[in-house]
Amino acid sequence: MLAGLEARRVHVEADIGRGRDVAFHLVGLAATTVKEARERVRSAIKNSGLDYPRSRFTVSLAPAELRKEGAALDLPIAVAIVLALARKEAPPNSAFLGELALDGAVRHVDGAIVATRCLRGLGYARVFVPAADAAEASLVEGVEVIPCPTLAAVVNHLLGAEPISAFMRTGNEIPDRSVVAEHDLSEVHGQDEAKRALEVAAAGGHHLLLSGPPGTGKTMLARCLPGILPPLELAEALELTQVRSLLGELPRDHPLDWARPFRGPHHGVSMAGLIGGGTGFAMPGEISRAHHGVLFLDELAEFQTPVLQALRQPLETGRVSITRSAGSVTYPARFTLIAATNPCPCGWSGDNLRACRCTPGAIDTYQRRLSGPLLDRIDLQVSVRRVPLEQLTAEPTGETSSTVRERVLAARLRQTDRQGCLNAQLKPARLRQLAPLALTSRRTLERWAAQRGLTARGFHRAWRVARTAADLDGATEIEDHHVLEALGFRLQDVAA
Amino acid sequence: MSPPEPHLRARGKWPPPDGPRVAIVGSRRPSPYGEAVAEQLGLELARAGVVVISGLALGIDAAAHRGALNGGGVTVAVMGTGVDVIYPAAHSALAEAILQAGGALVSQFPDGTTPRRHNFPARNYTMAALSDAVVVVEAAEGSGALITAEAALDLHKEVMAVPGSVFSPLSVGTHALIRDGAGLVQNARDVLAALNLGGEVLDDPLSAPLGLGFKLPGGRDGILSHLSDVLALNAAEIARKLQLPVAEVLGRLTALELDGAVKRRQDGYVRALRRGKERA
Repeated sequence: MLAGLEARRVHVEADIGRGRDVAFHLVGLAATTVKEARERVRSAIKNSGLDYPRSRFTVSLAPAELRKEGAALDLPIAVAIVLALARKEAPPNSAFLGELALDGAVRHVDGAIVATRCLRGLGYARVFVPAADAAEASLVEGVEVIPCPTLAAVVNHLLGAEPISAFMRTGNEIPDRSVVAEHDLSEVHGQDEAKRALEVAAAGGHHLLLSGPPGTGKTMLARCLPGILPPLELAEALELTQVRSLLGELPRDHPLDWARPFRGPHHGVSMAGLIGGGTGFAMPGEISRAHHGVLFLDELAEFQTPVLQALRQPLETGRVSITRSAGSVTYPARFTLIAATNPCPCGWSGDNLRACRCTPGAIDTYQRRLSGPLLDRIDLQVSVRRVPLEQLTAEPTGETSSTVRERVLAARLRQTDRQGCLNAQLKPARLRQLAPLALTSRRTLERWAAQRGLTARGFHRAWRVARTAADLDGATEIEDHHVLEALGFRLQDVAA
Repeated sequence: MSPPEPHLRARGKWPPPDGPRVAIVGSRRPSPYGEAVAEQLGLELARAGVVVISGLALGIDAAAHRGALNGGGVTVAVMGTGVDVIYPAAHSALAEAILQAGGALVSQFPDGTTPRRHNFPARNYTMAALSDAVVVVEAAEGSGALITAEAALDLHKEVMAVPGSVFSPLSVGTHALIRDGAGLVQNARDVLAALNLGGEVLDDPLSAPLGLGFKLPGGRDGILSHLSDVLALNAAEIARKLQLPVAEVLGRLTALELDGAVKRRQDGYVRALRRGKERA
């Protein structure tokens, strides 16, 4: 049974009693979905041509105090009953999961890979999973995956009549590691400042804010980010696959995907939708779907304030803990945030084509809604301006995503070699130790901090971005121009 | 229109000391150029003994008050709210400084009146009525400052305007005024001359050849020569003109910004007109 990205083991026992009245007792704190298992299990056993007990019998789900949820217990319950009736022992070191159809077919369950991973951790060597989920479960190394098409097949296997062979990977499960990007940077004309910011964001794992009038290509720029990131590492891809599996969003035939996710929830999104939530155990939200990828929040000022506030914890820690009635679960949420916003309510402030109709007060209010703790956590802030039409048609195209990706990759390697993580995730103590500032660089940073009243957090954030600029440059030391560039991305220090 | 009934409520010294009164009005979102002009005019007029009148609003108004205070003069804020309601609230310190310097906050509205859109045109009319001349510094089409100018015309007061860049929407209103016959203001002397005050006050404080009193930053750095003081350009646009990598231009712009030679706005960079001077 699943509790977020953890699974709880449920022992299923069946005892066939005597007595003439046929009754199916299910004990062990079963929720409605599990109580209904009685009906599914009875029909499935009978329709599979197997014997069904003709006396009262009891199925116990242990531990008794754990509330049982989900249809994945159908298969183990049915197997327990059939084996008890046949007076057979349960096979050693084996675990079962699957929902039963009335005709005895074993149906898909969500989270098969999560369950398999946890069962391996508990020492199980063999896991019986729905045939549809075998490819997914097989991504877990070191455990034998038995694909179960029907209840009858499982029983035949257990009684030794007709063994099912363990699932063999066909190669489809782990495709080639390559980047297929939806959008290429070379399709974006002009906007070199924003493109550079994207490169820095990709290289150091920094969050990015794009501010500019409507129609200046903010969304397009954001969509280019996955294409300049290196493909996922295996461990990263597996983490993401588990989140998707829980949500039932995994494609059956190719469960593993190397592409960095890109999620762009609408600004009407609820707290549960963005952060995660639901009844019982919370389900992952958009931020966990964007794990190791990009979360794009367009029209940042239109999001509800509490929803934005809730982003603070995951932005800092890369994970999110949600407590619901059944308990607390933690999901990974290490994403790169790209936020886009208009400079003012009407959107045209600072545009060279149309006049802005907002009062200074309205602009002030609008920008204040954005400011504060969330904006403080966004390292890179750039204003995006309209590119003149003649430039759209006449200019040669810029660099392609793959060129930029190579620089990004080199910069990321430099960081992992040095510190084992990206610059954006460096704690201040390690930053001081691993990214020392040259004297002139330090002076520049301090001058700026004094002029603009930077907080300690802001100071460290600018420092990290400077480190990333140096990494992109291949420089071992942070030079003055790296600091200056980093400070150039601090639109938040500008008086409105 | 008839002149408004002068039922004014005042805080501070009212009426102000005898002397010419000049209103300086304009956009609430001026360019650095407009702000610098308003501040300089306020300062020089105050030094010449003029009572500088404005509306305590953001932008040009505040710059004019500030200039007058820096010039050691008396300045009066004609408010669109009750005299006990400082709007915008961020200007409480400025209002306090006006009172400290022997100026006044005056209003035709009862105490406790909160900012209402329809009160401000009436306030603008009052401002014109209280002044001998109205100088408009940067006003886009439909700006409230133009209402003040119109009222001044009705009341047969002097109307003057400071020219601006032809590329800037903030020049549309002022250039229209000049086209219609408003006096062109390049410096405080132009204002004083229009009030026939030139002879008396020019000898002492304003005798030096008058520019607006600031130097344009030198054009050594290629970047500065590409920047305007009105229209913002972003790093990408400048990098394109200079054929330099954007990361380098961004760094150099930041260095110039640290030195106070350029100023960053939400929409890009403009040339700062006064080196090292921070916005209040």
